[in-house]
Amino acid sequence: MRAWLYLAAAAIAGGIVTTPALVVLILLKGTFEDALVASLATLLLAAGIAVVTMRDIIRCGLAMIVCFLALAGLYVTLGAALVAAAQVIVYIGAISVLILFAIMLTQDKVGSNRLTFQTQAAPAAIAAIIVAVLVAVAVAGTNWGAASAAVRIATNDLAHLLFDRYVLAFEAVSVLLLAAVIGGVFLAKREKDATG
Amino acid sequence: MGIAEQLNTYLTLSGALFAVGTFGFLARRNAISMLMSIELMLNAVNLAIVAFGAFIPDLQGDGAVIALMVMAVAAAEATVGLAIVIAIFRNRKTPLVDEYDAMRR
Repeated sequence: MRAWLYLAAAAIAGGIVTTPALVVLILLKGTFEDALVASLATLLLAAGIAVVTMRDIIRCGLAMIVCFLALAGLYVTLGAALVAAAQVIVYIGAISVLILFAIMLTQDKVGSNRLTFQTQAAPAAIAAIIVAVLVAVAVAGTNWGAASAAVRIATNDLAHLLFDRYVLAFEAVSVLLLAAVIGGVFLAKREKDATG
Repeated sequence: MGIAEQLNTYLTLSGALFAVGTFGFLARRNAISMLMSIELMLNAVNLAIVAFGAFIPDLQGDGAVIALMVMAVAAAEATVGLAIVIAIFRNRKTPLVDEYDAMRR
């Protein structure tokens, strides 16, 4: 019985992801790249909404991984392959695992049974919709002077830029990461006299 | 012109993901859910930066470099944020932010 439920959920998820691609391909006569972008965008938004609305926080963490994966796919379609690789390694490989570990360390049995949202959930939803509409209006109303197609960035050029023009920022980020690691260890460390 | 060749597609998508993250940050009770929503918002901004870098000729390359920087800073933020949540959980025994009321009393 439970296996059928999971199968149905998988079928619904597959339908959600493939329907926009089919709509773009057949109804709007788009190219395969358009269909891919539509599919990835739907997956991104569906996984994002799942992250903020699902009750079980472990499932929220797993949906977040799906969201990051869809975003990596969008980076590839934008021609930034190195950023996509970094997205997979840093977000899916490191940050998601860190968050899943933190979930396992901090959840109690009672917490998940109580309310998921605060009392201000309805105003928060209104505020979020206003943000989305404002951004969409601003995007539609601005002439960015953009090229008509995404330009692929060679990794070689990226490395020259990173280690030449942005080398100060690169070094500053390395110091910041070191400080964050030391700070994280210090904050999460158990005090000796508190535990005996 | 197809949707994959327009900057507006990616910027609107980025705004929508940012709004989803905003809703999660304002509405969720769990501290780790709030941190996950912040990660969503950072990723939305990153998508906008990479899209600008891909479509605006003057920003070609710079967008990708700035996106990599944002990722590193987001990793630092996640480390410190989760360490703080774990430290508070050790004291208060709950991950729910509306029960962290020691400074209100």
